[in-house]
Amino acid sequence: MNEKKKLNIVLAGQANVGKSVIFNYLTGLHQHIGNWPGKTIEKAEGTLFYKGYTIDVVDLPGIYSLTTYSIEESISREYIASQKPDFAVNVVDAVHLERNLLFTLQLLELGRPTVLALNMINLLKERGIEINFKILEKILGVPVVPIAAIYRKGITDVLDRGIELLNFQSPTPQNRLKYGKEVEQAIEILVEALEGINTPYTKRWLALKLLERDGEIEKLIREKNSELLKNVENLRTQLEKIHGHDSSIVIADERCHLAFQIIKEVMKITPLKKISLQERFDAVTAHKIWGYFTMTAIMASMFLVIFKFGDWLSGLLEIIFANLQSWFETISGISVLASLFLAVLKSVLALIQIALPYILPFYLILFLLEDWGYLARVAFLMDNLMHKLGTHGKASIPLLLGFGCNVPACLSCRIMETERERFLTGILTVFVPCSAASVIIMGLVGKFVGMYWAFALYVFAILIIFVIGKLASKILPGEATELIMEMPDYKRPSLRTIILQTWFRLKEFIYIAGPLVIISGIIIEGIYWAGWFPFIDNLLSPISVKWLGLPAITGILLIFGILRKELILVMLSTTLGTANFAQVLSPIQMLTLAIVSMLYIPCIATIAALRKEFGWKKTLGVTVFKIFFAIAVAGSISKILSIFL
Amino acid sequence: MNQNNTNENKFFLTDMEENQEGIIISVLGGRMATKRLADLGLTPKTEIKVFKKAPFSGPVMIEVRGSKLIIGLGLASKILVKLK
Repeated sequence: MNEKKKLNIVLAGQANVGKSVIFNYLTGLHQHIGNWPGKTIEKAEGTLFYKGYTIDVVDLPGIYSLTTYSIEESISREYIASQKPDFAVNVVDAVHLERNLLFTLQLLELGRPTVLALNMINLLKERGIEINFKILEKILGVPVVPIAAIYRKGITDVLDRGIELLNFQSPTPQNRLKYGKEVEQAIEILVEALEGINTPYTKRWLALKLLERDGEIEKLIREKNSELLKNVENLRTQLEKIHGHDSSIVIADERCHLAFQIIKEVMKITPLKKISLQERFDAVTAHKIWGYFTMTAIMASMFLVIFKFGDWLSGLLEIIFANLQSWFETISGISVLASLFLAVLKSVLALIQIALPYILPFYLILFLLEDWGYLARVAFLMDNLMHKLGTHGKASIPLLLGFGCNVPACLSCRIMETERERFLTGILTVFVPCSAASVIIMGLVGKFVGMYWAFALYVFAILIIFVIGKLASKILPGEATELIMEMPDYKRPSLRTIILQTWFRLKEFIYIAGPLVIISGIIIEGIYWAGWFPFIDNLLSPISVKWLGLPAITGILLIFGILRKELILVMLSTTLGTANFAQVLSPIQMLTLAIVSMLYIPCIATIAALRKEFGWKKTLGVTVFKIFFAIAVAGSISKILSIFL
Repeated sequence: MNQNNTNENKFFLTDMEENQEGIIISVLGGRMATKRLADLGLTPKTEIKVFKKAPFSGPVMIEVRGSKLIIGLGLASKILVKLK
């Protein structure tokens, strides 16, 4: 029998180069998405069996350079240096090769065996681009494999070339690439000085990072040999004298220059005679007037489709599940165990009733828009508005998601660069009325008070988000970062990527929300059995009756609403014995109840998502704040309205 | 820095019109900002073209090294450009 051969490889590259397509292709369903230790950055790992090898694949977060600005970047370089993967697959976008090479050059300096996967070669012809792979391979000194990931072409060649590399003992191919004379001299001096200092990084890479004033590496070296830093400072000053800018810019400049030189040798671009369709489309979707029209149209149709579909499917499920429940009740009889099981069943069905009709289509459409390249345009168009909320354009994506469900919205705050921005965006997303809150707004206010009032509630919610954003950005320490992001080209979306992305997110939602919904379902069933409902109603009546002016039974409803918000409406009709709420509630009461439900607490699944992203302390802070805020706001509005209505 | 520049030809990226082309002279502002831009290939002497500007002093979308980038107003107003 053959001894099992284990390999550990990483996928590295900039954002939007098709890394996740390759990762999904390689690992399929054998993947595990967790977090990097101690970080809120996603770590995607998977296993692949190939030609007798068991290959562990780690998908490193998409990054622009290996200098530490964002957590993603420092995670990636630390991982490559300390875990020493057998080889790295550097995925690059062939169409945008020049900018991608800036990253490649840094990756090669880390000194791990590397295969360059030149992705999207299928797009070269229509862009009038020709690349000479052989020369590129020779210049970089690493295997270059042209691939077309969305057509699954060439990916196994990447593995073959990588495995081939293992049989050679030459670990450092990077010395073929040289920067300008002065920089190379400085590197040489530093490499010599670094002799005997033990770090996981290569000497050349360290030397470059020191010249670049990389804070983390400086700290690392200071601990080992602080004398060396004086030497570094001298070399930096020399470089700065010659080039006239900061030494970090000198190195970046050299890298740009080298990339440009390489491009000149390997790439030939024939200018296209016609403006391509995608270019025209880009001009419209990023246009100062038409861009907003298209965005409104796309978003409106997205929400319309989701609410229509969700309404239809959840109505259908309602009937099926009601039958299922009554069937179960008849066969099980009445016992503690049976009602316990019923509570679990109800919770599971409740979970399905949110996930299937609302969250699933939301994810599918959203990942379609993302994969196609549209979401980046939204970030561009919304940046200005988002700045008013103390954050930037990218935050529009989580906020948008929040209208569907706050859980994926919270999780997607990861796309923000800094902790501050992440938390700020997180706070804002839980103020977005989700589809469950919309069910209440539409079913209570829209139906019995008037559509204008329902619309006014949405406007009110958005107004509140502005105020909270203003406040939070003042209170939270740290500075606002500026938007800077790459604009991906529009491309044909890959169905496989969309489905896999959706599936993994949905799985994540079920893992987070599932246990909590079930446990709280059991607790509520227990409270019901113990006959504590009137007691809780009484306990809450100073708030619900005195301050908010609502009937006493709403006390227990608001407790149920923590589980999932639309339960407030469902329970209201069962408790009151009528679905015609106008008979029992005044318009002011309906408005007040809708406002409280919309604002009062993130549902239990959202609380869990918040905890996962930001920890207990911040989650508790947000939750408690929301409760008091909702009670204060809804009570005041109820009092004000009662003057006028 | 290049001595041939006259002051009239110097613009901030934010002052450029759509479809105007230029060459980056320098990036004013802190090391963090300059480095962040340099990592994306925006170093002195780089050729750029303004593709779109978002209204109400929003971000700028530029073409650089064969790809498109969006840069927030605050950063864009630190990039000094010579018109081509």
